[in-house]
This record gives sequence, C-alpha cells and structure tokens, in this order.
Amino acid sequence: MTEVNVSSSLNGLSLMGILDARVGSSIQNFPNLNSRAPRSLSLPEYGPTQPIQHSAALEDSHSLKSVDSGIPTLEIGNPEPVHCSVLHVKRKQSEPEIMPERTFQSACTLPSYVPPHSSAAEHENAVRKSSTFPRTGYDTVKLYSPTSKTLNRSDDISVCSVSSLSTELSTTLSVSNEDILDFMVTSSSSAIVTLETDEAHFSDVTLNSNKETSEQNQQACCQETEVDSKLKILGPFTSFFSRNLFARKQNARFEKQNDLGWKFFGKTSVGENSQKDPKKIEKEYEEKAGRPHKPLSPKQNVRKNLDFEPLSTTALILEDRPANLPAKPAEEAQKHRQQYEEMVVQAKKRELKEAQRRKKQLEERCKLEESIGNAVLTWNNEILPNWETMCCSRKVRELWWQGIPPSVRGKVWSLAIGNELNITHELYDICLARAKEKWRSLSTGGAEVECEDAGFSTADREASLELIKLDISRTFPNLCIFQQGGPYHDTLHSILGAYTCYRPDVGYVQGMSFIAAVLILNLDTADAFIAFSNLLNKPCQMAFFRVDHGLMLTYFAAFEVFFEENLPKLFAHFKKNNLTPDIYLIDWIFTLYSKSLPLDLACRVWDVFCRDGEEFLFRTALGILKLFEDILTKMDFIHIAQFLTKLPEDLPSEEFFTSIAAIQIQSRNKKWAQVLTALQKDNREMEKGSPSLKR
Amino acid sequence: MSSINSYVFRIIMLGDSTVGKSSLLKRYTEGVFLESISQTVGVDFYVQFMEIEPGVRVKLQFWDTAGQERFRSVTRSYYRNSAGGVLMFDLTNRASFESIREWHREATETVKPFHIVFVLVGHKCDLIAERKVGRKEGEKLASSLGAKYIETSAKNSSNVDAAFQVLTMGIYEALKTGVMSPSKDWDGVKSGLLPTAVTTVQTPGKQEQKKKCTC
Repeated sequence: MTEVNVSSSLNGLSLMGILDARVGSSIQNFPNLNSRAPRSLSLPEYGPTQPIQHSAALEDSHSLKSVDSGIPTLEIGNPEPVHCSVLHVKRKQSEPEIMPERTFQSACTLPSYVPPHSSAAEHENAVRKSSTFPRTGYDTVKLYSPTSKTLNRSDDISVCSVSSLSTELSTTLSVSNEDILDFMVTSSSSAIVTLETDEAHFSDVTLNSNKETSEQNQQACCQETEVDSKLKILGPFTSFFSRNLFARKQNARFEKQNDLGWKFFGKTSVGENSQKDPKKIEKEYEEKAGRPHKPLSPKQNVRKNLDFEPLSTTALILEDRPANLPAKPAEEAQKHRQQYEEMVVQAKKRELKEAQRRKKQLEERCKLEESIGNAVLTWNNEILPNWETMCCSRKVRELWWQGIPPSVRGKVWSLAIGNELNITHELYDICLARAKEKWRSLSTGGAEVECEDAGFSTADREASLELIKLDISRTFPNLCIFQQGGPYHDTLHSILGAYTCYRPDVGYVQGMSFIAAVLILNLDTADAFIAFSNLLNKPCQMAFFRVDHGLMLTYFAAFEVFFEENLPKLFAHFKKNNLTPDIYLIDWIFTLYSKSLPLDLACRVWDVFCRDGEEFLFRTALGILKLFEDILTKMDFIHIAQFLTKLPEDLPSEEFFTSIAAIQIQSRNKKWAQVLTALQKDNREMEKGSPSLKR
Repeated sequence: MSSINSYVFRIIMLGDSTVGKSSLLKRYTEGVFLESISQTVGVDFYVQFMEIEPGVRVKLQFWDTAGQERFRSVTRSYYRNSAGGVLMFDLTNRASFESIREWHREATETVKPFHIVFVLVGHKCDLIAERKVGRKEGEKLASSLGAKYIETSAKNSSNVDAAFQVLTMGIYEALKTGVMSPSKDWDGVKSGLLPTAVTTVQTPGKQEQKKKCTC
C-alpha cells in the first residue's frame, strides 16, 4: 500500500475513497483515455431520444480500426475442404485480403535498431501455407484452412461459439473488430444475452448472413442447443457471430431481423453488464423495438450504396390529432407544424452528415484495402523469395513495422524466428507420438512409462499433462476454437504435449498455451511446433519459462533502467507506490502480450518482436506505460496493478504504436543488450559475494 | 464528530492450478461466473469493500496468483505482505486437497515473523457427484491448521460472501487481539480513520456498496 492511499491525516484518508471512486470510474469508461467520444452511432443507444452524435475525426479513425477485444476474424485463403463437426466456414467470394486499417498507418520514422540476429536461416521445412492469422478488419474475411483437416467448408457457419453458448450460458465472448462486442451471457439469466460493445456502428455493420445462412445456422444450433427457447435469442447472434468471426463481407447482407437484433444490444460500458438485470435488458429491447423511427431502411445499410437518402421524412411523421379530441387551436397547430419542420430539417442534416461520414469511411477503407493488397504483393513477390538479402533492408523493416499482412504473417514469423534447433516435421511426429503414448498410459492407470525426463518427478509430469488439458480450454476462451470440440483443440494439445516430450527440462508452463495458440492461428501444426520450440529457446523466453528467478530479476532491472530513462516521472511514482515490474511484466512477457492485448495488436507486436528481438517486448511495455502515463500517475498501487494486469480492450492502436515508437531503448549510450549483460555480470558477481559491486 | 475506522487488508489466494481461485474472486467482486475463465499468468488483482461492523469499513485487496508449482518462486515474494490467505482446493480433485499442507507450510514459513490468517476453502461444492473430499476431512484439516473451513461454489454462488467474511473477521480479530498490527514495514494491513462528516460527502461510500457482489 502506499502513502497516497493511507495517511494518518484525515485528508489523506478521505482522499482514499475519492481516489478509488474517481479512478474506478475512469477505468470503467474510457472516453478520455481514448479520446473517443461516446460512439457516433447511427443507431442511438438506449435512450430513445438520444441525438445522433457526430464523431470526431479521431473517432473516425478509431471506428475504422479494428480495436478488438479478443475475437478476431479469420482469413480465408485457398479453399480446401476439410472436416469439422463444429465449425463450418462460410466463404464469401474471394476478395483481396484486407488488413485492419491501423496496421497500415504509417508509423513514425524508426529509430535505427540492431537487426535481429539474422538467423532467418535455413528453414528446411518451408512453410507450406501462408499464415492464418485472425484479422480484425470487419469487411472481408478469408478463412484459411491449414492442411490439417480441421475446417469444414460449407456454405454456412455454425459458429462453435454458438454451441458453447447453447450449453454453457456463462460465457463471455469478445468480438474484436471495430464493432467490438463483448458478448456475455450471465449465468443468472436463462437466456438473456448482453452484448457489450466498446464501439459499434450498427447500421454500418454488414450482417452478411442471409436468410439461408441464419436458418442453417439455426439448424446447426438446433442440433446443439438443448433448449429451444435459447434459439430465439441465439438466432440473430449466430448470424452475427458468423459474420463477425469468420465471414465478414464487403457487401452488406443483412436482415431486418438482424438489424433488430443489433438494435437490441446497444453499447454498454465495460463492467456494467455483469450487473445488468435481465429484466432490464428485455425492457430496453421492448422500448427499442417499439420506437417507430428506429429502423433504418435496408438500403441505408448497404455499404456500397453511398448515396444519401434521407429517412427523416419517412420516419418522423406529424400526424393530426385524432378526430375524437378537441382540435388544436390554429396557432398551436401552426407552431407544431413549424417545430415538426425544424425537426425534419435537423434530422435531415444529421443524416446527411452521417452519410457523408460513412462515405468517407468507406473511401478510406477502400484505399486501405488497396494498400493492403499492395503490401501483400510486395511481401509475396519481392521480399519472401529474397528473404536473406531483403529482410534487413530499410524498406522491409518499415513495412514490417506497419504490420505484416495476415496471409504472409506465418511465413515471415517462421523465417524470422528461424530454426536453429533444426527441428524437422519428422521430429515433431516422433515427439507427438511419444506424448500420446504417455497420455494413454496415464489414463490407463499410471503404468510405468519409459522416460528420459530429467529432474522431474512423475507427479510433476502427470500434473503437467493434466494441466495442459485444463489450460487448453482456458486459452482464448472467447474465441471458442481451443475448447473441447473446437477446431484447434487437438492441435494445441498436440503441440504442447509434443513440446513437453521434446523439452522435458522445460516441460509445460502456464502462458505457453497462449503462445502456441497464436502460432497455430498462423501456421500449420508442424510449422507451428517448430516456431514454438525455437521461440521458446530464445534467451528471454528460456529465462522466463524456466522461471529462473535471478535471471528474470535481471531482465526486470534492465527494464527499469530504460523505464527511468524514458518515463522518469512515472518511474518515480511507481517506485513510491512499490509497484515492481514483476507485477505487470510477467503476464506480458510470458504470453508475449497475447493475453493482455487485443489479438490483432498482439500480432503486430509479435511482428516487430520477430524483427527486433526481445528488446522489443520491453519497449512495448514502456509504450503501454507511456500511453497511459497520465492516468497511471494519478492512481495508487492497487489501481495501477489492476489496470496494467487488465488493459482496456479498446486500446487505440495507432496511438499505441506511436507511443512505442517514441520509446528509446538507449541509456547513456548503452543499448538493451549491453545494459542487460552488464546487469547479468553484476548479478553473477554479487552471487559470488563480491563486495564492491552494487546493482 | 464520530468517525469510521477504515482498513485495507491484503489477501492472497493460494492453491493448485485450476482449483478456482480466479473464479471465486470474480464471483465475489464482479458477481460473474465464467465457465472458461482465462488461466492466470503471473498475478491478477481484485478489490472489494466490506463493512464488518458498524463504523468499521474494510477494503479487501486480493492478490490472485498463478497456481502452477513452477511459479512458486515468483509468487512466494507476495506472501510476506499478506494479512490473509485463502487456502483453496477443489473438492473434486484429491491432489489439490493434499497440496494444502504444503501451501500452508510454505506461506507461514515465508512470512515469518509476520502472521497470516487463513481460511480453508473447499471449492466447487456444486459438483456433488464428482466430490472426492469429505466435509469432515476438510474440517479436520482446517482445525489442524488453525483455520476455519468453508465449502463454496463460484458457479452457484454458494457461500462465496461467507468465505470472505469469515476470513476478514479473522483478520480483524487478530488485529484486535494484537496478534497482528499495522506497521510501516508490512503492507498486510493499513488502517486509518475516516471522519463521518467527510464520508457522507464523498460518493465512494455509495460506490463501494455498489461494488459488492449482488449474487
């Protein structure tokens, strides 16, 4: 606890409560933080008379960016029929890949970095397919099916998230993309679903599921749902989910029904939902459904239609007073007429502005799609074939910073991470076979298994294998693809299990499943295993996953050197509050931010981590601290700790990367590696008992 | 002008991985249960407020640690400044019950010369068919550790509030009897006085109430 928090003076204490409240509320709603005005929605939120707010320019760019909270959309690459009982992927017409806008914001000029150890080496096993990384751009989704048989290509998606919804009503689903939704089903309600969105443009949403889709989805749901009543609620959601998760499409294909479903759930601020009374939600639904001027004409939602069509006159109708009531006096009628006309004019103006804004958004989006398409071409045609020579060039490094196109990501990561360990696909198969044998023998009652495992008791190993199983379903639970029955459940299990056989000295450590999961989403299984093993073999990862406490502390100490250098005020504040780096860094470093940041942002961090090495992980940490410096300075220990261990889901990506770019990893002419080495040396000497050296 | 006694208690969650530490806290502080909650990597933090008797308000600061044994060397450093410890096991997982002694031993050793007040929590009591540990066993272990025993379920909210009330009261008792006391060198308990005049003005009081679990 800190002195800020507690003091013997009355004032100090009274502040304590106030500070909590203030901070608490600022945590809950981050309008200031993101400088995002309450979203400009063409569908107003709960209040029926809520005016349509006009977004600030910043809002615009934010709304375009896929600020996600977890569920990315998957990219569909080459069609390949594959079987999966749960997940069927809907593939829309193939479209050029589209990257989330933000990744293509041009970044500031990069300070020069020491190129990563250029073992973008011999990669014996070429990555066979381009990567599958979940993208968060909400338009096109290309679903990539890795050679492993998991995804079924049919025309519809029955999202496995739905099946899990149907059986487990207490689930939180986060949808990442500009229509951020936190989909949370509280266990207290039987079938009421709360959609929590950080940002959404409902009318802009392309609910692309058409009638058949939703019907088929519903059928699929039927098979899985136990309770019919749930279907009603889940219906619109399955389509919503299919759209958001796997099949975002440029052309709007939506339903009136879906519109209504959309309107059902307006935005609620984070944290509110858990307390929301199901009854209240129903009521709000009633209200919204009942409002006469609510529904926008279908045409309005077609993204391609950029023409403005005012609805106000159709929506706002001035009716004459019913005949059975005394007539209005002339002036009153006149006044009403005038007011009505004014309202219509206002409404028209608003709609015009809104349509213009959307048009602009669309244009920006098209521009971005083009640039993404270009980037993909560049990567595929120029860079990848000449990797050795090109990977360190300035141009490539800049492109890299902007974010690797998802279809190319896996390849680039593979190349950048390299394969120093010379792992082959065959080796993976062997390790996997060994792991499976162990599982079999454990489940048949713990018969003695031949083990070359060093230094770990049978209990530890068993605990590891058991823990892997339990952890898999707790990995990105909101994505629903790693759960039992999900398409990547077995893959994740295989990779982690094989790794424990490959590296019994390391075994399984919590946090690994997130890293493996991200790789699985971008690479074929065997390639993912190779990347995973090599990645964990890097010095920083080894130090952390072996929980080499001394070495970890050295990393933290190095981090603090640059922390103080870059953010002296915040550094002092943290020191005063006893907020040590382990509190927040462990989660970030262990999972390479995949648990702490929205998935698409995490991937961009991985991109540059692949380029720059471990130093970038710590630079990112400082970028986060810098981004939130203002509010962190005002917080006390527990609030800082809570905030950093649970970062806001709507982190503004452009600002975030700008913030990271502003961090200089340089202290008195020493760079990361030098500082770290010096500290390690000090540490060793201290352990040896040398009196003169001080950390 | 009368005043309100105000405390901050730091409480640490101890127990094997997957016994339900995070879930219990989430239920207690947010009123939410997630069937698939993310694994805890490192440490997570939760806060809750409680008025243990009229005029005595406590802010509970929870440190939710990763349960995997591998993390022990890291989480051990958090024991020292804790006033309370929730020793948790999964009623359907015998091994987690058997780990309790070790958790307890390690915690008490590490915090010396300071003191932690424990509560033994048998979690997932909703899973009646899969239960592997009997109530009597739990009670016996608890009393041998000098702690109270309570069975909870984050899923159906059973005894969730009660568990933390028991622990908080235990800490408060320890404070009153002098076993434990706030000190500059120790962050387990912080205390102070809030004048009521001020508290009526400040809204946090009301917000604190709201934060309470409504389940």
